[in-house]
Amino acid sequence: MKDEMKKKRRLFLVIWLSIIAVILIGIIILWPPGEKHESIKEVMLDGVLHEHNKINLFGLEVNPGLISAYTVTAMLLISAGLIRIFAIPKFTFVPGKFQTVIEKMVEFFADMASKNSHHRPKFVGAYIFSAGAYIFFSTIFELFGFQAVTTTGISIALPAPISDINAAIALGVMSYVVILGAGIICGGVKGGLSVLKDFSLPISMSFRLFGALLSGLLVTELVYYYVSLSFVLPVLVGVMFTLLHAAIQAYVLATLVSIFYGEAVEPRPKKKKKEVSE
Amino acid sequence: MNIPLNIDFLQILLHMLNFVILAGGLTFLLFKPVSNFFETRKNYFADMENKNREASEENERLRLEYEQRIRDAEEEIQQRKKAAEKELTEASAQYLREAKDKAASIILAAEQEAEIRKEHILDSAQTEIGELVVTATQKLLSDTVTPQRNIELYDEFIRLAEDTVSGERSKHDKE
Repeated sequence: MKDEMKKKRRLFLVIWLSIIAVILIGIIILWPPGEKHESIKEVMLDGVLHEHNKINLFGLEVNPGLISAYTVTAMLLISAGLIRIFAIPKFTFVPGKFQTVIEKMVEFFADMASKNSHHRPKFVGAYIFSAGAYIFFSTIFELFGFQAVTTTGISIALPAPISDINAAIALGVMSYVVILGAGIICGGVKGGLSVLKDFSLPISMSFRLFGALLSGLLVTELVYYYVSLSFVLPVLVGVMFTLLHAAIQAYVLATLVSIFYGEAVEPRPKKKKKEVSE
Repeated sequence: MNIPLNIDFLQILLHMLNFVILAGGLTFLLFKPVSNFFETRKNYFADMENKNREASEENERLRLEYEQRIRDAEEEIQQRKKAAEKELTEASAQYLREAKDKAASIILAAEQEAEIRKEHILDSAQTEIGELVVTATQKLLSDTVTPQRNIELYDEFIRLAEDTVSGERSKHDKE
């Protein structure tokens, strides 16, 4: 008897909520569009180029991506500082859940570095750990939708830093500089020259990052632009795309840097001088 | 300078500054301490493994030593057992020899005693015969005494006496 009552009650609840949801969706779809500040073309263009929506940073007009980058950096450094002060001293040889997460993050990049570059993997391990953490968390950052006011007075959600081409170029160039520097330090001028051959590397790295992040951003912008698409879909599109992009791009950049670094620092066998025997 | 795609060198440098700060901070706050912790843990378990291996080797050495001791002890036991068996055999042989000697001396003593007893019995038998003769004589004398009768009686007496003595001697010899 009690089970039957429960079933009936549950069925009623489901039907009632479904009816409400259907009616609400209908209302929202038929709702007349409100006044928009920008057309979809302008939104998309601004999403790519950030030419219009600038933010004031100490008197300098910068892209919102730069503000996002500094915010993410501040958050990451504060978190790292707290972990360093409160968590790491309490680390035990048999790790707990939180310790396991931290260890796995570090171990993942350290292992990747030592697998791909057998010589001097510690430096590149630290670099790809930082780059991976930066790409992953800065991409996830856009999910939180932190608001900032532009110089024109419009409130915008802060985008992922790497959706700004300047951030992507900065990261690509820095990775190249790291690889080039390692090549010169370990292999001398010849090592540097062998890295210089891959001059397309910074461009490919930068644009890969930029394109990957931008595609996610554009899809999300498109979805958010229309109110009727703002139900359920953003959860799937935004969150799933963002999480996938975050993980994939962090992994791709870390792998590429560690592989190229490994090639650059690999000791080259010295050519034996031809013996003048004849 | 108007660069396409809104590329701004100043902002690129600002991004670079940001990333350099972040990379340095993350390396010194997170990557190095955690890597050092890995190293400490690795060393700890390596030490533990070494200690376990040393303890295991020590245990193996002790095991072999004790096995050797057990083998030595078993060998000693075998030797002692053999010595004890030999001693026992010798002792039993000695005992048997002594027992045989004793038995022989007992038999000799018994034979001597038997001889003495035989002598004594013969003596006592002669005495008894004498007494019988006297008794019989007295009885005969008390009965009808004739010269013919006396002669018959004396003959009979001598025959009886000889039978009795020869019977006693053969009985004694059998014993």
